[in-house]
Amino acid sequence: MSPFFALLLVPMPAMGAFLLLGLGPAEFNRRAIQTIALAGATLPAVVMLPLGAYCLMGTCDGIQPIFDLEVGPAVVALALKLDPLSALVGVTVTIIGACVIGYSIDYMAKSEIADLRRYFALMNLFLASMLCMVLAGDSIIFFLGWELMGLCSFFLIAYHVTSARAIAAGRKAFVITRVADAFLLAALLLLFLEAGSVRLDDLIPAGIATDDVRRGLIAALLLAGAMGKSAQLPFHTWLPSAMAGPTPVSALLHSATMVAAGAYLLARLAPLMETVPLVMAVTATVGAATALFGATAAVFQLDVKRLLAYSSISQIGFMLLAIGLGQPEVAIAHFVVHAIFKSLLFLSAGDITQIARGTTDIAAMRGALRARPVAYLAFVAGAASLAGIPFVTGGWFSKEAILASAWLAGPFGIVLWGVALSAAVLTGAYAFRPVLVGLIPVKGARMTFGGVFTNLPILLLAAGTFAIAPLVTPMVEFLDATVPHPPLAVELVGAVAPFVGLALAFAMTFMPRISRRVAQARRMRSGIRIDGVYQIVFVQPFVALVRWLTGQRGSIADPVGTLPVMGAQWLVGAIVRPLAHDPLDRAWAGFASATVRAWGVARHVQSGRVRDYALAIAVGVALLLLLGWGTTWR
Amino acid sequence: MALTALIVLPLFGGIAALLVARLGRNAERWFSIAVLAVALIALIVAWTGGPPPDAPGAQWLALVRYQYAPALGLQFLLAMDGLSGALVAVSIVLGIISVVISWNIRKQSGLFHACILWTVAASNGVFLAMDLLFFAFFWELMLVPSFLLISIWGHGDREAVALKFLVFNAVAGLGLLAAVFYMAATAPEITFDAFVFAEMGIPPLAQVWLLLGFSMAFLTKLPAPPFHAWLPDAHTMAPTAGSILLAGLLLKTGAYGLFRFPGMLFPDGFHVLAPYGLALGAFGTIYGAVLACGQTDAKRLVAYTSIAHMSIVLMGLSGGVHFAMMGAGVEMIAHAFSASALFLLIGALYDRVGTRDLRQLGGLQQTAPRFAAAFAVFFSAALAMPGTANFLGEALVITGMFQVNWFLAAIALVSLVVSVVYATGLLKRIIFGVPSKACVTQDLTWSELAPVIVLATGTLLFGMLPQLLLVVLEPAVDAALAPLVRP
Repeated sequence: MSPFFALLLVPMPAMGAFLLLGLGPAEFNRRAIQTIALAGATLPAVVMLPLGAYCLMGTCDGIQPIFDLEVGPAVVALALKLDPLSALVGVTVTIIGACVIGYSIDYMAKSEIADLRRYFALMNLFLASMLCMVLAGDSIIFFLGWELMGLCSFFLIAYHVTSARAIAAGRKAFVITRVADAFLLAALLLLFLEAGSVRLDDLIPAGIATDDVRRGLIAALLLAGAMGKSAQLPFHTWLPSAMAGPTPVSALLHSATMVAAGAYLLARLAPLMETVPLVMAVTATVGAATALFGATAAVFQLDVKRLLAYSSISQIGFMLLAIGLGQPEVAIAHFVVHAIFKSLLFLSAGDITQIARGTTDIAAMRGALRARPVAYLAFVAGAASLAGIPFVTGGWFSKEAILASAWLAGPFGIVLWGVALSAAVLTGAYAFRPVLVGLIPVKGARMTFGGVFTNLPILLLAAGTFAIAPLVTPMVEFLDATVPHPPLAVELVGAVAPFVGLALAFAMTFMPRISRRVAQARRMRSGIRIDGVYQIVFVQPFVALVRWLTGQRGSIADPVGTLPVMGAQWLVGAIVRPLAHDPLDRAWAGFASATVRAWGVARHVQSGRVRDYALAIAVGVALLLLLGWGTTWR
Repeated sequence: MALTALIVLPLFGGIAALLVARLGRNAERWFSIAVLAVALIALIVAWTGGPPPDAPGAQWLALVRYQYAPALGLQFLLAMDGLSGALVAVSIVLGIISVVISWNIRKQSGLFHACILWTVAASNGVFLAMDLLFFAFFWELMLVPSFLLISIWGHGDREAVALKFLVFNAVAGLGLLAAVFYMAATAPEITFDAFVFAEMGIPPLAQVWLLLGFSMAFLTKLPAPPFHAWLPDAHTMAPTAGSILLAGLLLKTGAYGLFRFPGMLFPDGFHVLAPYGLALGAFGTIYGAVLACGQTDAKRLVAYTSIAHMSIVLMGLSGGVHFAMMGAGVEMIAHAFSASALFLLIGALYDRVGTRDLRQLGGLQQTAPRFAAAFAVFFSAALAMPGTANFLGEALVITGMFQVNWFLAAIALVSLVVSVVYATGLLKRIIFGVPSKACVTQDLTWSELAPVIVLATGTLLFGMLPQLLLVVLEPAVDAALAPLVRP
C-alpha cells in the first residue's frame, strides 16, 4: 500500500467531528462536545506530521487517487497530492488548527451548549475543508475546499446570531469572496477545457501550452480569485469587518490560514503564472501596494483585532509581492511564519482582552503585563516576529527574503523594495503599539493566569515563532529553491526598519499630541473608505434595482412577468367587451322583431272582406297564367 | 408492463384513495404510500429488466407499445431512458414525501391524496409517453390535480391563483397540441409515434414553427421569463405538498420536454432557435435571482430562485454541447431535491407560526437548532456549494457555456454571486437574529425530519459521488445530442 493512502486520513477526523456535532441527531453534553472537537482537530496533526516527516526523508511526490468520474469525453480524476508544498502547508495548518481549537475550549466555555456545538462543528468543518484544499491533487477537490472555507467563514463570522453587525459582516465577507470565487471557478473551468483533465499536474502544462490571450486571461482570473480570498486591494474591505466573529475564528480563518489561501493558490499554479509576465507584474504591484496600505491603515486602528486584520492584509501583500517576483517558495515560507505569529497574536490578544471586560479596544491592553503576564509576553513574542526583529524571529528571515527578492528584481523591483521597506517600518510601528500600551500600569490590577487550554497553545506558538527562525532557509530549500541574498547594506537597512517602527510606536503611545492625531485620522482608519465606494457603485444600485423590480418604488412588481399578463388581460378585455352584448344574439333578436313587424304588415291581408279576397284570387290566377305563358317561351 | 404500472397504478390508486378514505382514519395516507411504494418497485423492475428488443436506440432502458386505437394511429407507447427513469424516481419519492408531510391535512383528505397520486401519474406519463397524443394528454392532465390542490387547500387568494395557473398552462399547452396535430397530419400515415416523427424528415421551416409550438408549452412550465408570472403566485398559495410537487415535478416536465424533443424531432429548428433559448436563459437566471433578493415572503423568494435555477437549465439545454446538456440534466434532479426541501421547511415553519413574512421571522438558530441546520444544508445547495448536486449541475453548465459563448458563462457566474445575496438574506431573516414574536418553539419532528434527511442525502450523495447520476444520464444526453451534430 502506498504511504500516500494516509493522505485520505488527514481531513477525515475533522470531517467526522463536524458530522457528529453539526448534523448528528444525538444530544451531547458540554464535555462530550469538547472532546469530539479536540479529537477532530488534533488527529489531523497526528496523521500529517509523520507524512511531513516521510516527505522530508523519502521521495515526496505522490498522488492518492480517490475516484474517477467520466463526464463524456473527459475523465475527471479526483486525487490528493503530497509534495513539498502541500506537506509544508498541511503541517502548518494542522498544527495551527489544533492549537486554535484547543484554545477555544477555554475561550468559548461560557457559551450556551447549542452555540458551543455549532461553533466546534463549524471550526472542524473549516479545518477539514482547508486541508482538502491544501492536499488537493485536482481542481475539483481544491475548489470544494476553497468554497467550503467560505461557507464556514460566513457562519463563523455570524456566530453571534443576534448581532446585526456580525450578520452583515458575514454577508459582506461571503459576497465579496464569492465574487472572487467566481473568477477562480472560471479559471479552473477554462483550464479543465484546455486540459481535458482536472489534475493540477495536467492543468499547468495545458495552461502553458494554450495561446497567449487565453493564458493571460486564465492567469488574470486566478489572480483575481486569489486577491478576493486574500483580502488584497481592492477586495480587502471584508476582512476588517469579519473581526465581528469570535477571536479564535479570526485567529484561524481570518489571518493564519483561509485568508492566506490566495497565496497558496498562486504558489500552487506558479509555473503557469510565471508564463504571463504582465500578470506577474500586476501581482507584485498589488502585493506591494496592499502591504503598504495595510500597514498604514493598521497604524491608525484603535481596536486590536482590526489592527491585526489590517496587519494580515499587509502581510499577505508581502506574500503576493514575493509570488509576483517569481519567488513563490519564499512566499510560502512567509505563509508558514505568518501563520504562527499571527495566530499567536490573535490568541494572546484575545486572552488579554477577554479579561478586560470583553472590549477589543487597544486601551484594553493597558496593564496587561501585570494582569496577564503569560499572554502578554506571548503577544510580545508575536509582535517581535511580525515586526521582524532581526536574527531571533522567524518574521525577520522570511520578510528579509522577500525584500531581497525585490531588490534583486531590476529597476522596477527596487521601487517595489522601497514600498515594501516602508511597509516594514510601519509594521514595526503598529506591531509594537499594543505592546507599549500593555506596559502602561493600571491601578489595582490583579495578576491572573488562564487555564491550561489557554496557555498551552499560546506557549507552543510563542516557542514556534522563535523555533521557526533558523528553519526559514531550510524550508525554502525544501521547496526546491534558494533564498536570495542582497548586498549586506541592503540587508542592514531591512534589519533597522523594525527599530524605526518601534520608535514611531513609542511616539504614538507616549506623546499625547501624536496619539491624539492618530485617534482623529478617521479616513485612514476606515481603510480609505473603499467601503463607501462599493456602497455607491455596487450596493446602492443593486438595492435600487431590486426595489424597483419588486415594486417598492411605485413601480410594477416583477415587470417582465406582469406586463405580458396585463397586456393579455387588456387584449382579452378589448375583444370581450364589445362581444359582451353578444352581437350574434342581437342579430337573432333583430330577426325576431323583424318577424313581428312583418306579421304586423301581413295581417292586413286577412281583412275578412269578400271583395278583397276575390281581387286577390283574380290577381293570383292572372299571375299564374302569365307565369305559365312565360314558361313556354323559347 | 412495469412501465405501464408506473402510470396506471397511481392513476387508479388515486380514484381508489377517494374510497379508501372512508375506511378509517389515515387509511388513505397509508394506502397512498403503499401505492407509491409499489410504483417504486415497478420502476426498479422496469429499469433492471434489460434493454427492450424493439427499442429504436441504445439509450432506452424499457419500452412498452400497445396499439390503442389503430384507426386513429394512436398507440400506448412508453419508453424510458436514464433521464426519464431518474425523473420518475424523483416523482415517486416526492409523492411519498408529499404524503408524509401532509399528515395533518383533514379537509377532504381522500381527494387530497388522490390529487397527489394523480400528479405523480400524470407527470410519469409525461416523462414516459413517446406517443405524442398521449404525451399531450398527460401534459394537460397534470394541470387538473395541481389546480385542485391550490384551489381547495391553498392559502390566501387561492381560487384566483389556481385559475391563473390553469389559464397560463392550458393556453400554452395549445401550442404543443397544435404542433402535434400538424405532425400527425403531415405524417405518411396517421400516427402520433415520436419515433416515426423523428424519422420522417420534417422540413426545416416547419421545424422552427413546430419547435416554437412545443417551446410555448415547455417554457411556460419551466418557467422562463416572461412566461413565469403564474409560478410565484402558485408556489406561494399552494399547500406545502402542492409547492413540492410544483417545484419538484411540474417544472421538471418543462425541462424534460426541452431535453427530449428539440434534438430528436427538430434538429434544424433547434439550430435556429437555440440562441434565443440561451438568451432567455441568461436573462432569466439574473432576473430571477435579482427578484429573489427583494422578496419578503419566504415561499415567493424560493419561487424566484426556482426561476433562476431553471433558467440555468434552459441555458444548458440550449447550449447543444455535451457538458451543458449533462449539467442541465443534473441540475434538474438537484433542483427537484433542493427546492422541494426548502418548500418543505418553509411549510413546516408556516404551520408553526402562521406567517411566511420574512420580516416577522427570525431566531430559529436559538429556538430550533435542528430546523436551522436543515435550512443551512439546503441553503448551501441553493447557492451551489461544491459537494452538492446543484454545484455539479451549474459547474457543468458553465463549462459548456465556455464552449458556446464566454459572455453567457460570465452571466451564469454572476448569477452564482447573486445567489449568495438572496441565500444569505433568507438565512439572515429566518435562522439568525433575535427570536421574534413569531418564534418557533418546536423543532422539526421526525415525520418532517425524515423527508428532509432523504432529500439532503440525495443532494449530497449526487454531489459527492456524481458518477451515480452521470452514468445514468450519459446515454440520454448522447442520444439527445446525436441528431444535433451537423454533418
